[in-house]
Amino acid sequence: MKTTGFRSFVLYILLAAFLGGLGYFLVMLVVNGENWVAQPYNGYIYAEDSTLSAGTITDRDGMILAKTVDGKRTYAESESVRRSLLHTVGDSSGYIGTAVQAVHRSRLIGYNLLTGLNDTIFSGLGTDIRLTIDADANAAAFDAFGVRDGSAFLYNYETGEVLVKISAPTYDPMNVPEDLSENEAYEGVFLDHTLSSSYTPGSIFKLITAAAAMEAFPDWNTRTYTCEETCTVGDGQVTCLDYHGELTLEQALGHSCNIYFAKLALDLGADTLQKKAKEMGFGEAFQFDSVSTYASSIDLSNADDLTLAWSAVGQADVLANPYHMALLMGAIANGGSTPEPYLMGSGTGTKYALTDSTTAAALHTMMRNNVANYYGDGMFGGYTLCAKTGTAELDNQKPNCWIVGFSDDPAAPYAFAVCVQEGDSGLYTAGQVIAAALNALGT
Amino acid sequence: MLETIQAILERVLNSSLLTTFLLAVRAVTPFIALYVIWRSYTSFKKGQRRKDPVIMLEDAATGAHFPVLYWENSIGRSRSCDIQIPDNSVSRDHAVLMRRDEGWFICDTGSHLGTRVHGREITEPTLVEVGDKFSMGTTTLILRNATDVPQKKHSIFTGFSKEAASPFKLMLCVTLVQLSMTLQLMLGTGQFRLFPIAPFGVLFLAGWSLYFFSRRILKRVSFEIETVALLLSSIGILLLSGQGLDAVKMQIAAMLIGIVLFCFLVWFLSDLERVMKVRLYIAIAAILLFVLNLLIGTEIYGSKNWIIIGPISIQPSELIKIAFVFVGASTLDHLQTKKNITEFIVFAGACLGFLFLMKDFGTALIFFATFLIIAFMRSGSFRTIFLILAAAAFGVFLIVQFLPHVTQRFDGWMHVWDYPDSLGYQQTRTLTYIASGGLFGTGIGNGYLKYIAASDSDLVFGMLCEEQGLFMGLVVLAGLALFILYARSDVTRSRSTFYAIAACASAGMLLFQACLNIFGPTDVLPFTGVTLPFISSGGSSILSTWGLMAFLKASDERTYAAKRGGRRRPGVENSYMQAPEKPASTSRGKTNTAPKRAQEVAPQHTVARPRRMEVRIPEDKLSPGAGRHVRRKESDRR
Repeated sequence: MKTTGFRSFVLYILLAAFLGGLGYFLVMLVVNGENWVAQPYNGYIYAEDSTLSAGTITDRDGMILAKTVDGKRTYAESESVRRSLLHTVGDSSGYIGTAVQAVHRSRLIGYNLLTGLNDTIFSGLGTDIRLTIDADANAAAFDAFGVRDGSAFLYNYETGEVLVKISAPTYDPMNVPEDLSENEAYEGVFLDHTLSSSYTPGSIFKLITAAAAMEAFPDWNTRTYTCEETCTVGDGQVTCLDYHGELTLEQALGHSCNIYFAKLALDLGADTLQKKAKEMGFGEAFQFDSVSTYASSIDLSNADDLTLAWSAVGQADVLANPYHMALLMGAIANGGSTPEPYLMGSGTGTKYALTDSTTAAALHTMMRNNVANYYGDGMFGGYTLCAKTGTAELDNQKPNCWIVGFSDDPAAPYAFAVCVQEGDSGLYTAGQVIAAALNALGT
Repeated sequence: MLETIQAILERVLNSSLLTTFLLAVRAVTPFIALYVIWRSYTSFKKGQRRKDPVIMLEDAATGAHFPVLYWENSIGRSRSCDIQIPDNSVSRDHAVLMRRDEGWFICDTGSHLGTRVHGREITEPTLVEVGDKFSMGTTTLILRNATDVPQKKHSIFTGFSKEAASPFKLMLCVTLVQLSMTLQLMLGTGQFRLFPIAPFGVLFLAGWSLYFFSRRILKRVSFEIETVALLLSSIGILLLSGQGLDAVKMQIAAMLIGIVLFCFLVWFLSDLERVMKVRLYIAIAAILLFVLNLLIGTEIYGSKNWIIIGPISIQPSELIKIAFVFVGASTLDHLQTKKNITEFIVFAGACLGFLFLMKDFGTALIFFATFLIIAFMRSGSFRTIFLILAAAAFGVFLIVQFLPHVTQRFDGWMHVWDYPDSLGYQQTRTLTYIASGGLFGTGIGNGYLKYIAASDSDLVFGMLCEEQGLFMGLVVLAGLALFILYARSDVTRSRSTFYAIAACASAGMLLFQACLNIFGPTDVLPFTGVTLPFISSGGSSILSTWGLMAFLKASDERTYAAKRGGRRRPGVENSYMQAPEKPASTSRGKTNTAPKRAQEVAPQHTVARPRRMEVRIPEDKLSPGAGRHVRRKESDRR
């Protein structure tokens, strides 16, 4: 029986495997528990009779953006505020996965490892969230969108606080449309387009081409090209909106001359432009409050001259993410790098370096020149803006209208990116959105 | 008046005071359960005899003594033998000396030169008495009483308390757990419910009936295994009661039948001769049951493993688990004569074949793991085990390749969050609700996992954790895992290798099944739909689990020892010893007063005439160093 006794150690192998598996599961539970809990199907959070009351969300001035009353989630009083902040605050069903109510759901509902989602006297503690958002500015900017879709993002480039964040199409979380899943107008409504989409940038990409030239050509300041409205490249043509004649880089940026930048890009070459774009954040997914954002993209590896020329003015296959564009503006305003924007608390402390300070300073000057001498300060009531507009031409569709830039005022260090789909022109369509936001932020 | 009371009741039930109170109840309950599980084990350990010689063998030529430590002892030249005879004329595994009801038997196990008792060559097990000589090769051995031998001190850690817990107290704790869960059922769901009294009443009566039957009528010393089994069954049934009384009617009935089956099997296993004789018939019956299953079985969820007769549906494969252990285990003389395990491999192969035909791969896996445990304990050959494993790996490869629904399970594995609404549906829900329950759960009947298919069987661990808390889930698992240690600690103390192997196989089977059940839905392993022993809904499952408990119980030598407690037979002097009330509560080594313990018993040379149908376990089997105590006793009298 001695032998039998000895052989029974096989049971210990089984026991060890059992303990190993159990240990692995427990570690996973501790690490991922809050993600496991925060699922859209979780009955404790979303069932009709759920007794859990999620915490209250307010904006920077204390305006209530979301609150649970008698087991029902209610949102801000103003419909514009509700609609403009849908993708920031979130919906009641958890469909908008990048919003605060989804990302911080476990905190809002008071999840912890010990009591899970139990409704105890402790579960209401520390569940309220105050956002850095300015709800009034959001509503104003949203109203300026009219019926158009698009996205707007504005943050303080010195601290990282996000003040405006809008994505459209959107809907009212208090009156969820019944045809949400069928109606084409709501296509992509659960995506936060500022974070998770990219659009053809059009002329705003000229800033990147300009930055590439500043690095590649020591004489960039005096270098001139002549615009004759059209220009043959390879077996196609690059066209411009006007006959601009001979231009410097600064003038070309002000006029937003396609021919100048096309010719400049042909001299730079695809590799140089590609490299500079990558340095400035193209192809990189940035973080925003633990959400990984959609990367801007440019691929010139097999580009012929015509594609290169069109890419240099932000057409062809170039795509830009609004959040990334805003970060780039913040970096230019800030001498090359920007803190990571945040919605609550005090941010992660991460800094993104997107350009060097010399280039940043040069772009800064030229963008100020754009507004002062070409767009006009009058539109932006009192702010000293530096900006670049873009009107990205699309096939069979009205253009994407962009404005990216920042404010030079020390009291209002805001960087922004606005993209309005199917607008008329960058300056007027997108410009009025940012003007409305800045006006509401006031001083 | 009545309305006022109702209104007050409603208000109390909906107040946050009650929720907090119930949370506190839920927080305390697992501690009581843990206490029962832990103290049962430590008491079990304390009640065991030490490994001291039972009798001695004396070499007639040299006078050398060989201590006989076990109920079954292999004798031979080989180093692996329990009694090693350094004589070249002795075969490597020469004979087996074993204790049966009638006395000590010597049994030749195919040696070269044979074994002789009283000068005659033996062909079958032969009774030898103290003083008798038997020879093997050129060595002659004399059976002697165990003399005073220095007793080794054992310092195994068996808990913080020096005393064994009283079985009565532990049963009271089980009742406390039942009460606490019943209280939750009655008050916890927002309205007052009376029906939980019914399952509580049945569990209470069943538990205490078993207790009095075992302790008072059969006079058994130990009740630890039953205590844990009753505790786990109660937790399972009361948890399932959260879904209404109808959900547990069959479960309760099955548990009662299971308890009866347990008692029957413990009795049935007492007679090894009988057991070894019917093994063949059990094997045939198992195969026939499989055939019947294939012929008239019903397919549910893709597996044809159900037989439905009128309102009753049973899963034959659950019952065959018991038969499988029966057929797999064997006594030492059989093991020694027929070293190969071909017969068992054929039987196991047939069982697995049938399970494959029924497409019940989860159960097949459980049978296979049990088969590995038994095969290794019988043969000890790593080579065989590796060959079997290699063949199995090939088989699994083929299954994964050609059976789409199995392939799917593997595809979803570790990727459940990528497919939360298809491949990972059940797993993601289980994980979400386990986390939602926290350490102490949200209360019986308040969970959301119950709305998911198979939540009361395949996903029951999730439901247990969600409603009773992760802590309770872990306590239940600890209860199941500790059966391994029960089986292990009995392995050389049990009355035969048959019991040792059967207990290890049962404990291993239960734990392996528990592994599949909890690791499948939690995405540690690919999902296999098997039940969690004691907890999952399923009559056949709880029935067979109780049946398997009988093997663990039979493996404990005390089970049969106390059977004749309290009766001394005139004429057969000191053959049996009175069973002690609490064998373990007296600390060892200090006893020089009147003997109270099982250990202090009669000399073994008197062997009772066997009487059939009576289980006679001479207490000397439980009494290392018995002679000494008896002498003391006699001197006391003088």
